[in-house]
Amino acid sequence: MSEKSLVKHIYDGIEEHDNNLPNWWLFILWTTLVFGAGYWFWYHIAEAGPGQLGEYAAESAEHAQRMASNTPASDDLLLKLVKDPTSLEGGKAVFQANCAACHGAQGQGLIGPNLTDGFWLHGGAPMAIHKVVAEGAVAKGMPAWERTLGAERVKAVTAYVLTLKGTNTAGGKAPQGEPEQP
Amino acid sequence: MQQQRIVYDDTTVRRFIFAAVVFGIVGMAVGALVASQLAWWQANLGIPYLTYSRLRPLHTNAVIFAFVGNMMFAGVYYSTQRLLKARMASDLLSNIHFWGWQLIIVAAAISLPLGITTSKEYAELEWPIDLAITVIWVVFAINFFWTLAKRNEKNLYVAIWFYIATIITVAVLHIVNSLALPLDGLKSYSVFSGVQDALVQWWYGHNAVAFFLTTPILGIMYYFLPKAAERPVYSYRLSIIHFWALVFIYIWAGPHHLLYTALPDWAQSLGMVFSVMLWAPSWGGMLNGLLTLKGAWHKLRDDPVLKFFIAGVTFYGMATFEGPLLSIKTVSGLAHYTDWIVGHVHGGALGWNGFMAAGMFYWLVPRLYGTKLHSTRSADAHFWLGTVGILLYIVSMWISGINQGLMWRATHADGTLLYPNFVETLLAIRPMYIVRFVGGSMYLVGFCMMAWNLWKTARAGKAVDGETTVVVEEAKAPVPTATTAPAPGWVQVVTGRPLVFAIAILTVTMFLGWAKPVRALVLMGAIIALGELAWIVTRKDREAGRPSWFALIEGRPLAFTVLTLVAILIGGVAELLPTILIQQAVPAHGEAQKPYSPLELQGRDLYVREGCYTCHSQMIRPFVAETQRYGDVSRAEEFIYDHPFQWGSKRTGPDLHRVGGRYPNLWHYTHMMDPRATSPGSNMPSYPWLAENRIRVKDAPKKLSLMQKLGVPYTHADVDSAEARQKSQGEAIAADLATQGVQVAWDSEMVALVAYLQRLGRGPQDVPTPPADVAPTASAAGGQEGGR
Repeated sequence: MSEKSLVKHIYDGIEEHDNNLPNWWLFILWTTLVFGAGYWFWYHIAEAGPGQLGEYAAESAEHAQRMASNTPASDDLLLKLVKDPTSLEGGKAVFQANCAACHGAQGQGLIGPNLTDGFWLHGGAPMAIHKVVAEGAVAKGMPAWERTLGAERVKAVTAYVLTLKGTNTAGGKAPQGEPEQP
Repeated sequence: MQQQRIVYDDTTVRRFIFAAVVFGIVGMAVGALVASQLAWWQANLGIPYLTYSRLRPLHTNAVIFAFVGNMMFAGVYYSTQRLLKARMASDLLSNIHFWGWQLIIVAAAISLPLGITTSKEYAELEWPIDLAITVIWVVFAINFFWTLAKRNEKNLYVAIWFYIATIITVAVLHIVNSLALPLDGLKSYSVFSGVQDALVQWWYGHNAVAFFLTTPILGIMYYFLPKAAERPVYSYRLSIIHFWALVFIYIWAGPHHLLYTALPDWAQSLGMVFSVMLWAPSWGGMLNGLLTLKGAWHKLRDDPVLKFFIAGVTFYGMATFEGPLLSIKTVSGLAHYTDWIVGHVHGGALGWNGFMAAGMFYWLVPRLYGTKLHSTRSADAHFWLGTVGILLYIVSMWISGINQGLMWRATHADGTLLYPNFVETLLAIRPMYIVRFVGGSMYLVGFCMMAWNLWKTARAGKAVDGETTVVVEEAKAPVPTATTAPAPGWVQVVTGRPLVFAIAILTVTMFLGWAKPVRALVLMGAIIALGELAWIVTRKDREAGRPSWFALIEGRPLAFTVLTLVAILIGGVAELLPTILIQQAVPAHGEAQKPYSPLELQGRDLYVREGCYTCHSQMIRPFVAETQRYGDVSRAEEFIYDHPFQWGSKRTGPDLHRVGGRYPNLWHYTHMMDPRATSPGSNMPSYPWLAENRIRVKDAPKKLSLMQKLGVPYTHADVDSAEARQKSQGEAIAADLATQGVQVAWDSEMVALVAYLQRLGRGPQDVPTPPADVAPTASAAGGQEGGR
């Protein structure tokens, strides 16, 4: 009797029952519908939450605050780092990972200029090198690294580059730019 | 009253099964090949036609349209005839449908490796093939609806509803997304650009998954699962609710592929909330499948068909839980562009589509050949091999995706990136690429075992066509109509209470789009009240034993089809129309965008041809970790002249939107010739043929004037001077490379591609103008990079 009342239709021998919808399924259905309406109301009607650019602005502000704790680079600071073996070790690792592809593993120059001769396109002073590493030289295809690597790594790699100066690696790329004025 | 004997057309079914199995093997083998290339870049053997970026579209198209397509047609042709008690209306149309579809597949298999592509994912085929698809789809539709008209069964079973939804929605999606202006017989440009193109593409892309990979297979499930289990379908009521909810809601969910992109926030939110709301409707299908097995679970032990079906439905449940989860903006922020998405789609493709196909084939082939399955043990082995393969695949992609997503955003205490070098994050996941290759290969081996098993089965039997007898009565009374007033059918359809309530609720909801908080609360209250009222009225009607409106429309295919069409159009129109009508040429940053130079346009076409978008995005999302790595957040107005858009959906390599001007030309040349020379550890293919091949110089003015027609503001003078400008820009780049010892022709593909890459993410105002007045050779004086 109960079995008979269950059968709603038969199609090509397939019986179709008409059971009630499971409650937990209905719960998911209603919860997601309410969530959807609530989300829309919150962000697009009441405008109580920030849009994605608002979120980004907040994240950027927080990031800027974290970055502000770094000591700004100076000639003195960079020269001090040249004498700091831990920093140089870190600078070398950064150099091998990010710079060697263009400047060569020894800094002898490949796509980018030779860093071991005494010639510089943008000046060989510590802060001049730091500026090129940090901000790049767009017209010459040198990327700005500070954004990606962060201030500390840029300082470390600059100090490492300073140690390459004058090593005149054999087979290096021909000099470019001006000889450094003492 | 007379008896009529009906012989079903099962020849077409057998053909489609054969094609599905063959193309399944091809599609999956190509998949295994491209998977191996991600782990071992050398696996393309240096052949342009075998590079990852050209084969990946072939893999996706083959699996979706050749494998699942043919499988779906086999299931639809078999079940439709039996559910309607009618032979397919026209053998001629069935033949045209079958052979036409196979020709399309062959055309795709030839054109995609040649780099003939529109670059729109899962719609890469160029316009002549798109037209052919449209024609064949219409042939299929005519054949199907004509059969509906001839049916000997009054009402339509739920499987047929899903087939109807599939046929009309795929037609709408395909036509809108393929709108393009042809340049020549093999190349066209999307009429949409930038944000609009992205939205149209993912409205299509998502619903290709919904209405090509999901709804038809649900229909197939509703027929073959109860048949194989010999158990009744669990709930008709659930069928109604989940069908209508699915077709209405699915179409809105496309923007979840574009979360945190330059798509407007409101469209992203719609994509997200509708995806979350899809959870229950999707699980409705799973439930109806799983609960149909109630009381027959013991059969699972020795019937491979049921094993495949139940595992398939379970994977469907898993994928449709993961989908809404991934659509939550925060989760998408982590998972988008990573392998997690790849794992997600393969859970669906291998688990749901592949296993439902296998179950259907194992059930059908013995019946179509009047024999028994050759080897049940082999089918069991296939099941376990496949299951372990899928698990290896999706688990490795979870690990890989989440790992890489976390590495991209990991920072030191001072906020600097922990892994600034992209390759580091790639090397970290390489072991997972190997595991994925192993898992996918296991699945393929299992599939090949099935092919052998089905072949042996077919050889052991003889093709037999099913038949039935029906009693044809003259003027049989239609559905049990109301006893009181014999109102015309269409009046009953449009005045049906479910429809009236649905329209009322939708109308009220529409006003939410413009409402301010207080009014919105009132409107939401009204929606709830209407919903409650609908609930009460429906229950009362049912208790009173009134004829169901749903039963009424299920006896009227035309009304049913129109209502389905309306249901899928609402979401599409609500999202696409405002975005397409929006005035987007407004420069947010003072200076208006300038269109690409002729050479950059040529280079862009090479970027499309080589399929760079399969691994590189051009869309920097508003996260600090992302702007640190790639540069400023991408803005909508930067893409207004991008026909088609190139935002991409996966970052196997880094984002390229702001790569322009970042490296010297020589870097790009070196990188294209051998990516590992500049980025040790990279798995990118080498593209040395770019240095040898020449661009078609004469195409430049044609391309510019076509872009003019699409609304890009080139002047007629621009078109006339296109060749000259192309030459001077190309010569400047070639001269720059020559100063560093690299000789490439100015009209080589390499130079054009470099021109495009150097332009990315910057207005032409930022690019040093190629000096037409200054002789290019003069620039050599200043040192390696030219300049001063």
